[in-house]
Amino acid sequence: MSHINDAKYLIIATIILAVLSMLSLLWGQFDISISTFFDYLNHKLFSSPATQDFTLIESIILDIRLPRVLLAILIGAALATSGAVFQAMFVNPLVSPGILGVLAGASFGAACGMLISEHWFIVQILAFVFGFVAVGFAVFIGSMVTNSRSTVMLVLGGVISASLFTSLLSIIKYVADPYSTLPAIVYWLMGSLSMAELNETLLVAIPITLSILGMVFMSKYFDLMSLGDEEAKALGVNVKLIRIVAIILATLASSLSVVMAGIIGWVGLIIPHIIRMAVGPSHRLLIPLSAVIGAIFLLSADAISRLALSVEIPIGILTSLIGIPIFIIVLRNARAAWN
Amino acid sequence: MELNPIIEVNDLHFSYKNHKVLSGINFELNRGEVVSLLGINGCGKSTLIKLILKLIHTDADIKIDAKELKSYSHKDLAHKIAYIPQYNNTPFNYQVLDMVLMARVTKLGFFAQPSKKDYEVAMAALEKIGMEHLKNRAFGQLSGGQKQMVLLARSIAQEVNTFIMDEPVAGLDYGNQIRLLELIDSLASEGYTFLKTTHYPDHALLMSSRVVVMHEGVIVADDAPDAVITKEMIEKIYDIKADIITHGEHKRCLPIFETNRQKDLHELTI
Repeated sequence: MSHINDAKYLIIATIILAVLSMLSLLWGQFDISISTFFDYLNHKLFSSPATQDFTLIESIILDIRLPRVLLAILIGAALATSGAVFQAMFVNPLVSPGILGVLAGASFGAACGMLISEHWFIVQILAFVFGFVAVGFAVFIGSMVTNSRSTVMLVLGGVISASLFTSLLSIIKYVADPYSTLPAIVYWLMGSLSMAELNETLLVAIPITLSILGMVFMSKYFDLMSLGDEEAKALGVNVKLIRIVAIILATLASSLSVVMAGIIGWVGLIIPHIIRMAVGPSHRLLIPLSAVIGAIFLLSADAISRLALSVEIPIGILTSLIGIPIFIIVLRNARAAWN
Repeated sequence: MELNPIIEVNDLHFSYKNHKVLSGINFELNRGEVVSLLGINGCGKSTLIKLILKLIHTDADIKIDAKELKSYSHKDLAHKIAYIPQYNNTPFNYQVLDMVLMARVTKLGFFAQPSKKDYEVAMAALEKIGMEHLKNRAFGQLSGGQKQMVLLARSIAQEVNTFIMDEPVAGLDYGNQIRLLELIDSLASEGYTFLKTTHYPDHALLMSSRVVVMHEGVIVADDAPDAVITKEMIEKIYDIKADIITHGEHKRCLPIFETNRQKDLHELTI
């Protein structure tokens, strides 16, 4: 039965994610051995006697690596899931949070927030609002040019929307204080997980996790939605409700990822394609698997950026470098959508 | 026992952007009927179907199973009528079994995933039309005829008795057209009700209990097949020459082929 297979794929992917997460906690410029790690866990969880002084290890794990690992998991999951959901909602395998302009809109909103307020919450709200405005604008442009649903026109609408908000962001950079706000905005936008702090990460984890769970629960409707509105309605789906809720959740998750780590492109576009190539397009499996594989992808990319290279490069740059060749391969499979 | 008609349309008028599409439509679909809706492109038959399925908004007096259409949600309507569209184009190439399983989704609660029973219903539907061996194939790789069969299976899995089909044989090769019609006929004999649009008067004659002809947004005939599909009617609606002949136990409709080349040849032989 296919639902047993579905569970099998998810369990295997989750185990891989768990192992990778643990290795990411241990490996780095200061390696921690597995036995030391378990001694530490024993000491913390079961109050067994300390075998050594754990102060340094605790500080490395809890203050430096854990927030970063959690953030990589959250953002990878958020971007990949949102990408899969946008692709289903617009019946268009070539869209993603990046291509629809959500990331550009959210970065403009977040930068506005940083400019006018110190308050973290305002930054998040503005990121979401402008992320939503950006996707709305992309759809508006796409539908203004042509009446029928067109794959290419929506992509072009997204390109226009993304450029608009990138330009608006440049205005903000131009007026920002060149000694404090400007460098902060520029470094944040390149996409980095290195500024992660545990409290902030846990705070943003709640809305991101809830949006991802919402999208997973809605996944069974996405197969029907991807057949087009008429067929979905005839099969009994409340098309408007599902579409607006799904787009809000996908926009929220991807906008919050921008607030936390800047623009990390390509994850939302390529991960759903890779999963479709491996296990097929059914959204019941695609959506939850996107969350897990997206997390694995970003965690691995972050590990490469930390371990393999002597200089740490921003993860947004790295995901582009990895994503572009993968997408070129994937495009061959997606070309049917251009017709 | 007197049964209400499953679909009842009373004095329906519909315009699209000041362009009158349907006027004064009165139409009933009774349980157990196979009704063919005939007419040239643009006569309004697709619009009528979409209005009945609530795919286009209307306040008109349409009743489904004796209840106002307005009072139905799409979900409620999907528990009464299944729709089989003309063709299916999605960039996502689902497996056949997943395609059939889609009929079950709106029967589930918000947090529920398809259960073992839903898989069994989907498999039973595929078996009923003899397609179970294709369950793991990609829908997009099937032939046009197989796609229509899978969509029929999906409608069976929807567990409703009334199917609306939009030009079911369009784009199918000759053999598959006939096989699909035979399948519809055998489902009808099991008690399923069909409303289907068609471009083939001959198919309407072969396998309908009633034929409705639409022309320029008006129903011009609604009766038994032999009463409706006459030489005069076909010649008037399609602007061609035609003949109705008797073949075996069936009346058949044949177009008369007249080209200039034939005329020229005819003149030459004289």
